[in-house]
Amino acid sequence: MKSKLTLLAVTMMAMASPMFAQGAGNTDPSNYRLAAAYIAMGIASGLCGLGQGRATASAAEAMARNPGAIAAIRVALILGLVLIESLALYTLVITFIAK
Amino acid sequence: MHELWITKLFNSNLAGPANTVLNAINFPAADQRNPWSDWMVCEIVVFLFVLVFFAVLRARLSVDRPGKAQHTMEVLYDFVHASSEEVVGHEGPRYLAFFGTIFIFILFLNLIGLIPGFDSPTMYPMVPLGFAVCTFFFYHFTGMREHGLGYIKQFLGPFWWLAALMLPIEIISHFARPLSLTVRLFANMFAGEQVYLTFIALTKIIVPVVFIGLHTFVAFLQAYIFMLLAMVYVGGAVSHEH
Repeated sequence: MKSKLTLLAVTMMAMASPMFAQGAGNTDPSNYRLAAAYIAMGIASGLCGLGQGRATASAAEAMARNPGAIAAIRVALILGLVLIESLALYTLVITFIAK
Repeated sequence: MHELWITKLFNSNLAGPANTVLNAINFPAADQRNPWSDWMVCEIVVFLFVLVFFAVLRARLSVDRPGKAQHTMEVLYDFVHASSEEVVGHEGPRYLAFFGTIFIFILFLNLIGLIPGFDSPTMYPMVPLGFAVCTFFFYHFTGMREHGLGYIKQFLGPFWWLAALMLPIEIISHFARPLSLTVRLFANMFAGEQVYLTFIALTKIIVPVVFIGLHTFVAFLQAYIFMLLAMVYVGGAVSHEH
């Protein structure tokens, strides 16, 4: 199964070879800035989403196991979520700066 | 970006005093006929509102028959007091004035952007920078007041032979704190506004209301988080090794 998937992946990558036929169009850096900004924002949001999901999941489980500590866990959860959120927001700010 | 109506009001009437003050501190305005900027005007509006609100509340304080405003502010006070005790430790409520001011001022600055005709000053990067720099100097000041000159020992790490390694790391991380405070508050408010504008352009009617609701929630949350992080930093500065 793994070798079939590898073969499929390599075939799809080989099928993209017509890309080399395009001329030396405008390799103006500012054209790449927008695309790079979109990709960077996507990666940042995705990874921060994963991180926040893990934080929320363990906070919910901890609250279920120990209902007496709900207030303290809630504080830790909010603090952790906001700190992870700010990492995605740094990328957003760079997106606006590099416009 | 076009001017708000209230900035126009300030610029047409109070341009003279503003130019005098700015020239006195050797920082002349870029446009001498419109020296007031949107965020400065809105900040002054919020400042006057908060001042008048709390002055009137102070005059009407009553132990037997508290009104709704007094009740709400008592809940707020207890909340900040309990948070500071929990996060900073036993000495937390000494700094209650700073934390409460940060929370209330940032909260109202965030919320004034929801009123059409006003702009959130926290949407412009200078205003959160001002708060972050104040917090930075405040927590170092409290640390030095608590520990005297032994405050430097915190930056040197647990062992004396690690000090040369720990000191640059600690300095960098301490300078990253006001940076992250600024960018967090600015980016949240700015992004909220941009998302709102995008959705007004896309779907004109129902969907922007959802984003206004989200922006309100984020406004409260970001004010709380700024206060909480200020408490964490002050707690780190004044803590004594057990």
